[in-house]
Amino acid sequence: MTSETSVVGKSLPLLDAYEKVTGKLKYAGDLPAMHRMHHAKVLRSPYAHAKVVHIDTSAAEALPGVSAVITHKDDITGKKKTCGSPWHDFSFNFMGPMISPEVCYVGDEVAVVSAVDEETAKEALKLIEVEYEELPAIFDMEEAMKEGAPQVRPWGPNSLPPSLFEWGNIEEGFEQADYIIENRITLGNQQHAPLDRNACIAHWEGDSVSLWTSTQALFWIRDAVTDFFELSPSKVRVYSTPTGGSFGLWWGNNFMLLAIAIARKARRPIRLVLTRDEVQTTVKRRERPLIDAKIGITKDGKMVSQSYRHLMDNGAYGNKFDPYQSVADIYTTEHARVEFIGVATNLLPAGCMRGVGDLTLAYAIEQTVDMAAERVGMDPVEFHLKNHWKTGDICHTSQEVVFAKLLFNKNPTVELTSSGLAECITRGAEAMDWKNKWKGWGTPSSVDGHKVRGVGMGISTHISGLAFFGFNGITVKVNPDGTMALTTGIGRMGQAGDTTQAMVCAEVLGVELEDINVIDGDTEVCGHTMVTFGSNGMHMGARATKAAAEHAKEQILEYAAKHLEANPADLDIKNRRIFVKGSEDRGVTLKELMSTPIFEYLAAPEVIGSASKGVEFDKAGKMMMADFAEVEIDTRTAQMKLIKFVAVHDSGTIVNPAVCENQVAGGYYQSMGLSTTEHLVFDDETGAILNPNFMDYKLMGPLDMPDPEIMFEEVYDEDGPFGAKGIGEGVTCAVPIAISNAVYNAIGVRIDPPITPDKILQALKSKS
Amino acid sequence: MEYYSPTDLNEAYSLLDKYGEDAIPIAGSTFYMGHREELFDEVEAVINIKQLGLSYIRQDDHGLRIGATTTLNEIFAHELTSKGTFGILAETVKELNINEVRNMATIGGEVCIAGEVDMPTTLLAYDANIVIGGSKGVREMSMADFHIGYLNNALEPGEMVLEVHIPQPPANTGAGFAKFERTAADLPIVNVATRISLDNAGACAEARVVAGAATLSGVPERSAAAEAALLNKVIDDTLIETAAVASGDIECIHDFRMSAEIRSLWVKCGIEDALQRAVAAVQ
Amino acid sequence: MNAINLKINNEHYDVSVKPHWSLAYVIREKVGLTGTKTGCEMGTCGSCTLLLDGKPVFSCLRMAIDAQGCDIRTIEGVEEDNNGELHPLQEAFIQDHGMQCGFCTPGMIIAAKHLLEHNPDPTEREVREAIGGHLCRCGTYIRIVRSILNAAETMRNAQAGQ
Ligand SMILES: Cc1cc2nc3c(=O)[nH]c(=O)nc-3n(C[C@H](O)[C@H](O)[C@H](O)COP(=O)(O)OP(=O)(O)OC[C@H]3O[C@@H](n4cnc5c(N)ncnc54)[C@H](O)[C@@H]3O)c2cc1C
Ligand code: FES
Ligand code: FES
Repeated sequence: MTSETSVVGKSLPLLDAYEKVTGKLKYAGDLPAMHRMHHAKVLRSPYAHAKVVHIDTSAAEALPGVSAVITHKDDITGKKKTCGSPWHDFSFNFMGPMISPEVCYVGDEVAVVSAVDEETAKEALKLIEVEYEELPAIFDMEEAMKEGAPQVRPWGPNSLPPSLFEWGNIEEGFEQADYIIENRITLGNQQHAPLDRNACIAHWEGDSVSLWTSTQALFWIRDAVTDFFELSPSKVRVYSTPTGGSFGLWWGNNFMLLAIAIARKARRPIRLVLTRDEVQTTVKRRERPLIDAKIGITKDGKMVSQSYRHLMDNGAYGNKFDPYQSVADIYTTEHARVEFIGVATNLLPAGCMRGVGDLTLAYAIEQTVDMAAERVGMDPVEFHLKNHWKTGDICHTSQEVVFAKLLFNKNPTVELTSSGLAECITRGAEAMDWKNKWKGWGTPSSVDGHKVRGVGMGISTHISGLAFFGFNGITVKVNPDGTMALTTGIGRMGQAGDTTQAMVCAEVLGVELEDINVIDGDTEVCGHTMVTFGSNGMHMGARATKAAAEHAKEQILEYAAKHLEANPADLDIKNRRIFVKGSEDRGVTLKELMSTPIFEYLAAPEVIGSASKGVEFDKAGKMMMADFAEVEIDTRTAQMKLIKFVAVHDSGTIVNPAVCENQVAGGYYQSMGLSTTEHLVFDDETGAILNPNFMDYKLMGPLDMPDPEIMFEEVYDEDGPFGAKGIGEGVTCAVPIAISNAVYNAIGVRIDPPITPDKILQALKSKS
Repeated sequence: MEYYSPTDLNEAYSLLDKYGEDAIPIAGSTFYMGHREELFDEVEAVINIKQLGLSYIRQDDHGLRIGATTTLNEIFAHELTSKGTFGILAETVKELNINEVRNMATIGGEVCIAGEVDMPTTLLAYDANIVIGGSKGVREMSMADFHIGYLNNALEPGEMVLEVHIPQPPANTGAGFAKFERTAADLPIVNVATRISLDNAGACAEARVVAGAATLSGVPERSAAAEAALLNKVIDDTLIETAAVASGDIECIHDFRMSAEIRSLWVKCGIEDALQRAVAAVQ
Repeated sequence: MNAINLKINNEHYDVSVKPHWSLAYVIREKVGLTGTKTGCEMGTCGSCTLLLDGKPVFSCLRMAIDAQGCDIRTIEGVEEDNNGELHPLQEAFIQDHGMQCGFCTPGMIIAAKHLLEHNPDPTEREVREAIGGHLCRCGTYIRIVRSILNAAETMRNAQAGQ
């Protein structure tokens, strides 16, 4: 089913585009100074694991201009554990004290200084004397899991209990298989690396605290602050500004809590802006996976059984036990077992980054599937078309299932609402000219001297929000001139969440996008909203927005019915005008209606629509995608170049094509980074990050890659607003798969990302 | 910290004398500002040398003279350095894909750092000399002697670089430059500059094969073996290959940016590419 | 501290600076013009680009004290330079979605403005080279390049119409 729309489906400009092109948009680092405001700097551990046996801050405190110093001696520990609702992303020390006497990674916080300016604060940091006692540090997941391994941090085991999804009987399944393919993969350590730097201002007034920060997790931070400082939610007000890109980095983080703590001690507003080094090395990174995959298939290419064991390097404080994945279902087999184990190491904490588990696990699955297709001699495109997930299939590995079990000890059935995978695969293959370019596994599609080319493909999926993400509380207030204010707690990080929610609102209310003013980023004003993650904005979030708009519409039609002396059920709104369906000339403009007194009240109507809504657990709307890559390997220089890339996405109805195209392109650039030059290098000896900046953590620039060909397969999702599903995170998921498979076909050796010249050279050597 | 912006050389020299090792001359400031945190405690006086009239490119009987504060983009655009005998200079600049840095960074800055930079590699291939000034007078030194290690040069306290002097190469000279990097806007991981001058019979009378950014010594190095392989021979593909293979005498650094093995491979590939370009460019 | 005067977008500002303070820092923190962003403070992202005597430079790599007497133009001045109206580049970025989070946008527009002033009809390659040192972590390059090319066309047409 599709419906006629007048706003939805258009590439309308971003609501905040004017502010962006004129430099007027304020990110957290741009906020004006407050009266008496001081600046904070953090002293960080040079050791991956150590005890602070002695710390002397007297010289720092005595430095003129310094207003406060805090260390582990300041007891600022709340009852933390309560903020552990299951979806929280703990990429900082949430179980221990805010500043711990035991530091657990290079960069862990040891002390904070506030002073009249940043330079004085920096000067003061140098005056703090710290004596450390080094403790054994572990940088390797498998080492950390060993019996008797030293404890990574003072609380909890090194490896969390596995979260397990199982259906059928995998042993039986593997017995039915003619071939069993086993594979182990890993990826590099990617950093979110937004261009903007994390920043915040904290300010106490009496026993109430306000925090201004760029974030996608407005209410999560409010809740965390409430727990850490044992405050009532009414005493905590968080204001969020847009983020200069997030990709998962701008959730809550300890640095915000530190600013709040020192603001209390200094009795001043405190501003804390992280340096580029700190952004890269102390906030978080993507979890590095180590995955053992096993797939059983029959001779005719039917997948019958699959098993995955997915370790995730959580670093010092990450807490991931289930990587927000759903991709293990992407091939429907009767038997499967998927196990996730979060492991702590003395490295930079890890947490969600764009795509999360659907990137890591999809990579493992799809590499193994490529090998499986090779084993039975079936074209990968054909293999994918034969085995993939379809509308109405069961989502065994949906997180709903985990949390239903965790919270209610129930085992619900979750159904996939729609899947356009087949079309994505078919269209992508055609655009890539797969028929002509694919010459068999490990066989280049063309050779020109020392330049060999190969093609590869991969598919993936990602959630569009989930039931346990909770509710979004939305209001729509109609102004006397027919414009309206939409209040939402959605995060603004370049995904255009404000614009697309407003488009949904405008569509329902028959007005133009420009009529909608979005109010966001204030915990006192906005309804409680889940962190803007898991691509929940357009599917899950917009369901609430749509419901609130419909609620407003209901009221408008009732008032209009009075005005027009008609039945509300016979009315509709289009082009800012309410009219009687069937006799369109009987109508009233929204402006006139909203500004004309009605007899009953002797005043113009007041309309406020509201809704609080999430998604139900029994249906899951997931986006689907198929990516195709053509790469060129220079066998002389061991360099790789991307030649052509095709991305086909089913995100349901595309509410704003330009926005979605930008999202897909963004995923392509980021994941090409993951595949090649974007990897944090940890020093083997110290665990310190050797490339903490853009000089050596290389992001893709405007000269590095060809433009991708982007296509949308708009399968109408009955469960999504106007048929829409999510898009933002999934865009990264299939890119590395397609690239790695293409490299394999070019040179006949499988290489896991990062695909560096070194790895290519070793691969070429192993071949000859 | 003090800041000075002298307008004549004597004033600059007396400031350099006054502060000795605690003074830092600043030209484009792209390196200094990028490292200001590390350098902060070491520097007592910043001496801006951009008002000293050292921004020029001119040719005389002795070759080409480029003032120390001439920016990379000025070199890129100037008639004398963007085509003809010295066109290789612009080709070298072209490989730095950051327009804003090219607008700021100076040839003097490049020469003084000689770490992960491109220009010194090309200049060494042209037997360039560095003209050094101080209150004790002016001296000229070969590039080879000037660079004494990674980010380290032969300037004495009180001295600064005034000019880069590139002798006029013989007729029938061609040059080529090659750069290997991780992304298009990157520091060089390896760069190579070659210059060949042919005799009337078309054989190689003079050869320079230089690799930079990758060397264990931290400064651009000539490959004696590669140069020897070329001398007195007519350069063809086979000879280029021989010369490239001979470049094994340049030892490469191994660090988190890239392995020594890849760098050595790229030195070899770079020599092939740069020599091909040099042969094509002979005029 | 050194007292200096900076001329930014034709306005004069008296500020006290230390020699190692970058122009980006002073413009943002002391003058209060935050349209110039600082993503890396070491010349690797392009978000701090402004025009100094007509040329694009990274203001994080320029000492503020060394910008005295220079004509400094930031994103805030682009409308002023265009008779108070949005510059065709800004219009094009808005219409063509040449941005996502918008953090790289001011730097991109400044670099592009310089390009179009000197090369009204650039090739796509030339556009990419002009922003070669600018990162967009949101990966908006396709539409940034398109915005610049479309703005160039608009400006050429306007020129031809005059
Ligand atoms: C992101 C980025 C990428 C870059 N990529 C490349 C690249 O790929 N290739 C490349 O070649 N360059 C590259 N550069 C430029 C290079 O790294 C240096 O920044 C530049 O060469 C320094 O020149 P400057 O004039 O700005 O030096 P400054 O920062 O002014 O000075 C640098 C050093 O040289 C000294 N110095 C400068 N001039 C003199 C003089 N006349 N006498 C005595 N001492 C002097 C200074 O005291 C200081 O120690 C890049 C720079 C950046 C920021
Ligand atoms: S802040 Fe100046 S280039 Fe990044
Ligand atoms: S739009 Fe986000 S960095 Fe470019």
